[in-house]
Amino acid sequence: MSVEWYLVVSALVFSIGAGGILVRRNPLVILLCLELMLNAGNLALVAFARAHGNQDGHIFALIVMVVAACEVAVGLGLIVAIYRRRLPIDVDELRELQG
Amino acid sequence: MSLQTLGWMVLLFPLGGTVLIACTSQLLPSKLHGLIGTLAIALSFASAVGALLALEDLGEEERQVVTVAWDYASTVGVDAQLSLLLDPLSVFMALVVSGVSTLIHVYSLSYMESDRGYTRFFAYLNFFVFSMLLLVLAGNFFVLIVGWAFVGAASYLLISFWYRRTTATAAGIKAFVINVVGDVGLVLGTYFIFKHTGSLDFLKAFDGAEEIARNDGDLVAGCLLLLVGAFAKSAQVPLHTWLPDAMEGPTPVSALIHAATMVTAGVYLIARMHPFFEQAPIAADVGAIIGCATLLIAATIGLVVTDLKRVIAYSTMSQIGYMIMAVCSFAYAAGLFHLMTHAFFKALLFMAAGSVIAAMAGDQNLDRMGGFRRAMPFTFGCMVIGGLSLSGVPPFAGFFSKDEILALVLAREDWHIVLGVLGYVGSFLTAIYTWRMIFRAFFGDPVEPARELESGHLYHAPEHTNPATGEVEDSDVGFPGPEHHIAEREWSMKLAMGLLAVGAIFSGLLQVPKVTDVIHKFLEPSFHESRFYEELEPSDGVTWIGLAVGALLALGGIAIAYRLWVKDPARPGAIRARLAGVHGFFVRKWYFDELIDTVIVRPFAMFGRFARDVFERVVIDGMFVGGPAGAVRAGSAAVRAVQSGFLRYYAALLLVGVTGLGLYFLVAAS
Repeated sequence: MSVEWYLVVSALVFSIGAGGILVRRNPLVILLCLELMLNAGNLALVAFARAHGNQDGHIFALIVMVVAACEVAVGLGLIVAIYRRRLPIDVDELRELQG
Repeated sequence: MSLQTLGWMVLLFPLGGTVLIACTSQLLPSKLHGLIGTLAIALSFASAVGALLALEDLGEEERQVVTVAWDYASTVGVDAQLSLLLDPLSVFMALVVSGVSTLIHVYSLSYMESDRGYTRFFAYLNFFVFSMLLLVLAGNFFVLIVGWAFVGAASYLLISFWYRRTTATAAGIKAFVINVVGDVGLVLGTYFIFKHTGSLDFLKAFDGAEEIARNDGDLVAGCLLLLVGAFAKSAQVPLHTWLPDAMEGPTPVSALIHAATMVTAGVYLIARMHPFFEQAPIAADVGAIIGCATLLIAATIGLVVTDLKRVIAYSTMSQIGYMIMAVCSFAYAAGLFHLMTHAFFKALLFMAAGSVIAAMAGDQNLDRMGGFRRAMPFTFGCMVIGGLSLSGVPPFAGFFSKDEILALVLAREDWHIVLGVLGYVGSFLTAIYTWRMIFRAFFGDPVEPARELESGHLYHAPEHTNPATGEVEDSDVGFPGPEHHIAEREWSMKLAMGLLAVGAIFSGLLQVPKVTDVIHKFLEPSFHESRFYEELEPSDGVTWIGLAVGALLALGGIAIAYRLWVKDPARPGAIRARLAGVHGFFVRKWYFDELIDTVIVRPFAMFGRFARDVFERVVIDGMFVGGPAGAVRAGSAAVRAVQSGFLRYYAALLLVGVTGLGLYFLVAAS
């Protein structure tokens, strides 16, 4: 299979993730969408690595996974903290950082 | 010991006394602090005597010794050293200062005994003596200015000594501000001289005096500025208004600082700077005229003031006017001779006044005094000796010194004769106001405190009041504390006053015209380059006529005072009613306070208000602070709108941005 198919799938998943972030208001779902975007990127990296025949992309993909894991840990922690303080679980309501 | 060592010791003892008293103020009993302070000044006086003897051992030509402790700053063009100049003039001043100070310390031992600030008082007093000695022993302008400023600070501290009395603190501030005006004059005057000589050292600067005189006007300007310094320190018109107010301080302070020593610093300064003044005769003439004006103005005010201490204060101003007139007419020895005799009899008068005030339980008003003659015989005797000396009755000290000044001023001829004649008018007024004070305090019917004292009991006021305003104040701070001390009952006060009385009687014999010439001969090495020192010599006729006229005027003045205030006590009231305008003018002190208030204080206050309301609020606050702040605020308001707080909005912006960037590179690459 040529690399294009992989890239099409990757772009599709990325767009689904991005769209999800833009339209959904639940932070949990937004985190899931972020994961989709990251994994779309991973797919593209691995595909390119295979196409070029070297290992750089694989290593990059591993590092992205580590980052994703950390991000999820932090993100879920924040969501738990929001829940504990009985704040609305809705990113549109949580807007105290406005200028 | 060498002369140099002794010179430094004169300074070190009072400094050590100050530090020791200040550091042990909580450790030792306060009684001991008085003794430490007195001992320090006595040792300083002993060192000054030693310095005098060491100086006498040197040859006539070598009697100008400079000793340098260390270089403070020594670079190209500046030579700031800690140096002393030991010559007859400085040693003479050191002797007068430390000698009178010793006696006043002895007097204060009892007089201030029940004051709660006893320790503080002696620490301040020692600090003052140190500063004054630094001033007179200074070997260059740098040390002179330091001593000059220290003396002003010490004066401020001692005037405001009773710091809970509002009139005292106000008087202290007034004195300090006017003294700072003088400091500025001195520093600027120094600059004009330093600019040309390039040396701060006195002797080097004196050598360049003729050089500077050739530079149009700079020397005159410098000398006039030095005169401003001298006038502020020596309470000459129009910078004199602080001196009468300074009487808010304790009486020993008035005796020491505001009569005998500090206020004569201006006379010393002019005498010290004589090479410049002789090259700039215009400045010297200005000084002589101002001195003459001051002696008359102060004498007229002295005639009408009813506050015992202020009468003596105005008399001090007047006598310093004589000295300034003398040194500015180049009669240096006469001026300094009068400085010495004045230190004796004026300190004596103040001490006697302090004793009377103690007997009155703090009241200083002459209107409420009378008849103390029998109750206080010793104080009365001292007051009479001081009064005779001050009014210039032969053979008391003031007679010889004042008449020598006037004879030498007359010997300058030209218009100086006018000054001399006015000086005689002043000496006539001096006799009247001095004896008015004495007759009113000691003659007439005994008042209540005098009667109580005669029966052996010292009068105590039912409540403490401020002598200036009459308002009731607490007894913690301010005269006289729980106990009062009068000379009749305290040996230390008696000792100090007795010794000063001896000085006030006999010190005139040092320089009797045509007979003795001690002061003049002794000071000669300090004035060896002066053109006038030897030449200025009144003719025999002027001398004898002057002496006779002086004695007659003094006796006449006393006789008039006797007629007015003892023989016919109703007469002064009648005269006052007839001359109400003149009397009011004198009582308001020639409106000098009002004049300074209108000409200087109010415009400055107005300018200050203008600066606060217009400059500060509009220019600084509005333009310099408000301008940039407003610009930043407006700018940030525009940028702030972007920060909406919507997470999804940020995400969308990010996506659009990244997509846009990606598209740009794609387009650019193809």
